[in-house]
Amino acid sequence: MKTASTPLGRFWAEFRENKVAVVALVVVILMMLLALFAAFVSPQNPYDMANLSLMDSRRPPGFVGSGGYTHLLGTDPQGRDLLSAIFYGLRISIQIGLAAGIVSLSLGTTLGILAAYIGGRVETLIMRAVDLQLSFPAILLALVIVAMLGQGKAQLIGALVAAQYAYFARTAYGAAKAERGKDYIEAALATPMSGRLVVLRHLLPNCTPPLIVVATVQIANSISLEATLSFLGLGLPVTEPSLGMLISNGFPYMMSGRYWISFYPGVALIILIVAINLVGDQIRDQFNPRLRK
Amino acid sequence: MLGFIIQRFLQAVVVMAVMSVIVFCGVYAIGNPIDIVIPPEATQEIREAAIRRLGLDLPLYKQYFIFMGNLLQGDLGRSFVYNVPVLELIGGRLPATLELVLISVISATVLGVSLGVYAGYRPESWISKTIMGVSVLGFSVPSFWVGLILILFFAVNLGWLPAGGRGETVEIWGVAWSFPTLDGLSHIVLPAVNLALFKLAMMIRLARAGTREIMLTDTIKFARAAGISEGTILRRHLLKLISIPILTVFGLELGSTLAFAVVTETIFSWPGVGKLIIDSIGVLDRPVMVAYLILVAFLFVTINFVIDLVFALIDPRVRQGATS
Amino acid sequence: MMKYTKFLAPLAVTIGLTAAAAASAQTLTMGVRGGPESMDPHFSALGSHAEAAKHIFDTLVWSGTDLQIEPGLATSWKPVDEDTWEFKLREGVKFHDGSDFDAEDVKFSIERIPVVTGPTTTTIYVRRVAGVDIIDPHTIHIHTDGQAATLPNDFIRLFIVSSEAAADYSTPETAAEGFNSGKAAIGTGPYKYVSWEPKGDLVLERNDDYWRGKGAWEKVIRKEIPNDSSRLAALKAGQVDVINYVSSVDYLALERDSSVDAIKGDSVYVMNLQLDQREKTPLVRAKDGSELAENPLRDLKVRQAIDHAIDRETMVDIVLEGLGKPANQMMPPGFFGSSEDIPMPEYNPAKAKELLAEAGYADGFEVDLYCTSDRLPGDGAICQGLGQMLTQVGIDTNVNAVSKTVYFPAQSRLEYSMFMNGWGTLTGEASYTLGGLAHSNNPEVKLGAFNRIAYKNDDVDRLLQTGATMMDEDERRATYEEAMEKVMADKAYISLVQLQTVWGAKAGSVEFTPRFDEDTLAFFIKPAN
Repeated sequence: MKTASTPLGRFWAEFRENKVAVVALVVVILMMLLALFAAFVSPQNPYDMANLSLMDSRRPPGFVGSGGYTHLLGTDPQGRDLLSAIFYGLRISIQIGLAAGIVSLSLGTTLGILAAYIGGRVETLIMRAVDLQLSFPAILLALVIVAMLGQGKAQLIGALVAAQYAYFARTAYGAAKAERGKDYIEAALATPMSGRLVVLRHLLPNCTPPLIVVATVQIANSISLEATLSFLGLGLPVTEPSLGMLISNGFPYMMSGRYWISFYPGVALIILIVAINLVGDQIRDQFNPRLRK
Repeated sequence: MLGFIIQRFLQAVVVMAVMSVIVFCGVYAIGNPIDIVIPPEATQEIREAAIRRLGLDLPLYKQYFIFMGNLLQGDLGRSFVYNVPVLELIGGRLPATLELVLISVISATVLGVSLGVYAGYRPESWISKTIMGVSVLGFSVPSFWVGLILILFFAVNLGWLPAGGRGETVEIWGVAWSFPTLDGLSHIVLPAVNLALFKLAMMIRLARAGTREIMLTDTIKFARAAGISEGTILRRHLLKLISIPILTVFGLELGSTLAFAVVTETIFSWPGVGKLIIDSIGVLDRPVMVAYLILVAFLFVTINFVIDLVFALIDPRVRQGATS
Repeated sequence: MMKYTKFLAPLAVTIGLTAAAAASAQTLTMGVRGGPESMDPHFSALGSHAEAAKHIFDTLVWSGTDLQIEPGLATSWKPVDEDTWEFKLREGVKFHDGSDFDAEDVKFSIERIPVVTGPTTTTIYVRRVAGVDIIDPHTIHIHTDGQAATLPNDFIRLFIVSSEAAADYSTPETAAEGFNSGKAAIGTGPYKYVSWEPKGDLVLERNDDYWRGKGAWEKVIRKEIPNDSSRLAALKAGQVDVINYVSSVDYLALERDSSVDAIKGDSVYVMNLQLDQREKTPLVRAKDGSELAENPLRDLKVRQAIDHAIDRETMVDIVLEGLGKPANQMMPPGFFGSSEDIPMPEYNPAKAKELLAEAGYADGFEVDLYCTSDRLPGDGAICQGLGQMLTQVGIDTNVNAVSKTVYFPAQSRLEYSMFMNGWGTLTGEASYTLGGLAHSNNPEVKLGAFNRIAYKNDDVDRLLQTGATMMDEDERRATYEEAMEKVMADKAYISLVQLQTVWGAKAGSVEFTPRFDEDTLAFFIKPAN
């Protein structure tokens, strides 16, 4: 247990105690790897038109297609192997979730710390806007923005960022504000040390733990929100199927008993989101001093 | 106190004005509705006549002033598609949405608070752990997916409940409601469960966190030391203390559930306002989109205003903080 | 359902609920995909709008089951000179309020249209009308701008409203209120208006004095249920008696379901692949991304290759799950102007590759294919299938199935090179389809307005121009058939499949003949036995 001496080591030692969280973490990592190496682990490239056959479409799980291998989870209406489509869909979903999460994190944190650091009018303006937005449901904001911007990956990410940056701004602001009031910051500001350095060296590090918590939750939320928008027909184009799009494509077939087209992509989506949330929960509990024994 | 109310009220008015500009410009920047409302077979003359008829040939700021002028007279414009006043269109579908939202939020709150208090009161019992596990699911599983699964199991496989639509309605005070009929109730169950699940998880977590914190406070320790029974402690102290944050969230959630009903209504073909707005986005029926968003913004601003006032009444520090 | 009802039964008694009343035999409840946009029949030219309006209002000219034109409120019509048609009106017809129908109502209706029409404009029904003269109460002369051989076809959705009842409700501001409230919704049709809510139910009661005879149902409820699954579920649950547009996804399962009848009918819609004929086309390139010397789609061999690459049978059987027919021309067989001499194209990928090689594209090329994904049943899926088939003969195809709200504006701006959408020959004859699509775009002669691929064949242009002015029916038919043969041989338009439509009904409950225009009309639905 020599790692236990560093802060990260101590954190990990505590994290390890929660078996569920550890399993969740393993699942998250595994799914990331699947998404990253989709091209190598998929039995079929679902986008290579030359490889697909309409004769294979809508076959139930276990069907041996014209490609010669078994479609473990069946095929979709275009004759794509569903398992492969899920791996590729996972990739698009995670890409979008991460991209939206990182951009919102940067934007929100900047705004939040700026508000706390500068204070005065700027603070009021930024935080009023943020609070107003927080009271507004994210789904509705995203919906309207997507409708305004149109279909496409960049537009979708833009909508997700607009719907989510406020959470980061609020969190960063809260943490930075608390720190800003402390004597040592005042002292540091009195020295010739530049303001930028104070922000980088003191304010930002203190905001990091809560931001990590918000980030995990928000990445899961982006993925879920993207799926919802795609399901409503306002997300990505049909030809770039994220998990949400796959579910949406299969929905009409549910009533006629061909549940797998929509069911399995859904299972993959749920596993991903639940796992991220479980990891996030554990991190939050560890950062929350009030729950410490 | 009066000064505080006036100040907050003015703030709310400013926010509404800003929102109306943002919403109007945002929506009117979307695509070109004319290519969607006229048939693909239309000629150039027909197209231009339609543009003039809908007032789309005017510059944006003029359209905004016309819109605001009408709005102040209580007129939110006419639907491009149906040529009827938008308020009438939304009003006709509001009862369906209200019915669904109220049933969902109330049942989620009652059930969620009970389960949450229990889970916070006995955090180590297996029941509590199960409750929390379920709440994680309810929190993270996307609502549309739950809707699909509900349909798959209860409507397609078991055939117990209808898959969508609104059941038979009864007129009460001139408004059609579906909950008083058996057919109506059977239609409302699945969408209501779908919509309630997220709120349920949220209420469980809130109540549990509140309970856990309060149970560790000195008040409870002293009460216990004084030999007051656990039941009395629960009733007199705990419920009283957690009720304020829960009521606040209840208010806020009422609004956000109204917005989130968009998803549930789409899945279950529930003929409410949410379905209307999705359809309107599809055909770029701008007046309907703008009116809906303005109404939602108004709702949120009002709820926030009321919550501010209530807090000010309860906690004098808020008042001072705001006026100083 | 059983368990659930038991569980709720006590509750029902205590709050005094009304149980869902079983629909009486006198009431027909129809679940339809789309509803009217207003009760004013002149507001919208949308198919579902006209369909609803046909219950309350009549037209001068009636279009029958196979879109053949028949007498309606007009008993006969004939051209009296170059640019005048005479219509004889039916006598003894009464409006729902008891007043008489006469020439005044026809003139009023025609003149009202340009004033009250909404954005989906109904002026297309009167586009050729230059003036209306009342000769006597039951004779009317319609003056047209030049020769208009197909004027009676234009009139099949020209609804006649009462000139008295609608007099005060004929401005854009008042029309919707007047008609939606029922005050002006007075027609001569088989059913009287009771109530309607946008996107909700349209309730109608029988007009006992209808000139065609009394309808079979005392009361008709037309429920708008846009979602395909929900509509089907409503039928299975017994909430509605008849539904339209059963989706291809559910069709096979429905066929096996003995509690429900599936009634299949041909539709007027044919899916056409359209190939840009401009010298420079934006979305075609070599496989390495470099620009091609010329637009390969201008080469007949390439177009023939594309035709041979398409497996229409598989498209029907797999993609549409049986709900369609392979198509060899832009109109369904039997329509005025469709030719019986056009062969069904052969699926032959080897030959397609050969033709491509002969045209100098042995390695193929790359193209972006655009289609609608939400306009007609199966359009997005057909598009994907098309992409697979073309890719397999060497034309790398990037499939873009997009919303119609994106597709049509871009298509009219000529942004696409290869695109596919459905075209419905709503009038049942070729001047509408060929005149719009196959003539070179020429606003002066009002032809070719929807030719988005710069297709131009001088022979075809000449045939279509003469056809439009021929008053002799047989000559005109032959002219259009010849034009159709030439257009299809050029392969700039490649017809793929003709769609079919399915209605669902409670097993053994009703009888009706599917209509080509897909209308679901209560008057023509009869109770079984």
